[in-house]
Amino acid sequence: MSFLQKLFRKSSEKPLEEEARVRVEQVIARAYIDPYLGADFFSAQAIKRICQRNGQLRVTIELNYPALSVRPTITNILYLALKRLDGFDDVIVDVQWKIPAHLGQRQEASRIKNIIAISSGKGGVGKSTATVNLALVLAAEGASVGILDADVYGPSQPKLLGIPEGTTPQSRDMRYYAPITVYGLKVMSMGLMVTEKTPLMWRGPVASETIQQLINQTLWGDMDYLLVDMPPGTGDIHITLAQTLVIAGAVVVTTPQDIALLDAKKGIDMFNTVDVPLLGIIENMATHTCTQCGHTEHIFGQHGGESIARENQSELLGSLPLDIKIREQADAGLPIVLADPGSEISLMYKEIALRLAVNVAQPGLITPLPKITFIND
Amino acid sequence: MTTEFTPQHTKLDRSKIPEEIKYHRVSRVLELIYPDQYTSQLSSEFLRVHSPSAEVRGHSPAQAILQYGKKNVNIEGITLQGSYAIRISFEDKHDTGVYTWNYLWDLAENQPDYWQQYLQSLAVAGKSR
Repeated sequence: MSFLQKLFRKSSEKPLEEEARVRVEQVIARAYIDPYLGADFFSAQAIKRICQRNGQLRVTIELNYPALSVRPTITNILYLALKRLDGFDDVIVDVQWKIPAHLGQRQEASRIKNIIAISSGKGGVGKSTATVNLALVLAAEGASVGILDADVYGPSQPKLLGIPEGTTPQSRDMRYYAPITVYGLKVMSMGLMVTEKTPLMWRGPVASETIQQLINQTLWGDMDYLLVDMPPGTGDIHITLAQTLVIAGAVVVTTPQDIALLDAKKGIDMFNTVDVPLLGIIENMATHTCTQCGHTEHIFGQHGGESIARENQSELLGSLPLDIKIREQADAGLPIVLADPGSEISLMYKEIALRLAVNVAQPGLITPLPKITFIND
Repeated sequence: MTTEFTPQHTKLDRSKIPEEIKYHRVSRVLELIYPDQYTSQLSSEFLRVHSPSAEVRGHSPAQAILQYGKKNVNIEGITLQGSYAIRISFEDKHDTGVYTWNYLWDLAENQPDYWQQYLQSLAVAGKSR
């Protein structure tokens, strides 16, 4: 295309007149309510551009979450709705996304847009499994995602992701290490630095030091989301992470039973204290369906996650069942969203992950940090 | 043992996060500027003697150690702690005080009272600033 043609094409693209624009906006607003944004595109301010060229209506939608799998549906629905409008020969709908960066992010980790902590008060509720599946969903939806396995004493990400034993991060200068890339995720874990069978017998300060090294000496590169798989409890590592990173938000995983909820509440209080916003609760092992008779049972009780979410003005992102497939595939190193992407559980993970992405993009969650200056007067 | 909830450990109110923190080296005053143009000024001596560090406060009111002779102490550095606090390092090598936004707000709000209390404690202990 010649330069003149390009110029001509650009100039022939015109904005719509006020009345026509309002009409198009109304059609878009009525056509589709986004389940993740919980609103239509007009009120969510996701309509980026409306213009016309030679009788052709062009609409650009910009979402704040990665939406590879929902894009065709949205495009199609809007196309069909807008086609019925009078006055245009043709319609082009373009759906894009731009993941906003958490403004509070500091210089040293500024290439990571959003750091999300996946935590729980109690161990064994499925944090690591949830982390890996959520990360894989976000990556599959078109985001660049990494996992920091912050559980230095009991790292489980290498096993969950099927990273072969003996794989170690590469380093040129023994100071900065490249994360291991697996299934499109960048992963760093203590499990990659020592062999699986070595128990780490460290006191708090050493663990704190190590976790700082894992964060600062990894060449993370540009990333939309870094999910931090936190160790259970509220200890040294948690404090170190809260102090060294600006965490965009935290997700608390819990089972619906009282004893786990009690610990989950402590976890939430900890994040409140260090001003990390709660992005939502994930209830894990909520139900179990008997493989013999098909009966579904709430083995750990009901509504626990929901009530804790309500108490903390947060939301229940989802309730996942206790399913043998999740465990089997996790142990086999092929998480369920990869092994069986069409399964009910994988779809649940997708709902949770996208809702999480929308929550972390909300500007109200961002803590504006003060500028510190020294003046000689 | 009962844990008392001090301003240091309560849920943060976002309007208490300053927009700007300025330290005036010569007058030794820390100026906090808040979103609604509200400002507060805290002297480095006041901040130093009210450091929330365990080295000053101990782990209960009974263990608190009275700070004195800090009249001319200067601030060497201020660093952000996560998104919830600042850590202030003073010239006298005291750098373990983590001042949360809530705590700074409380110090500013009750400055006259706290200062009077401090002067009284000094007088009782027979120490000077």
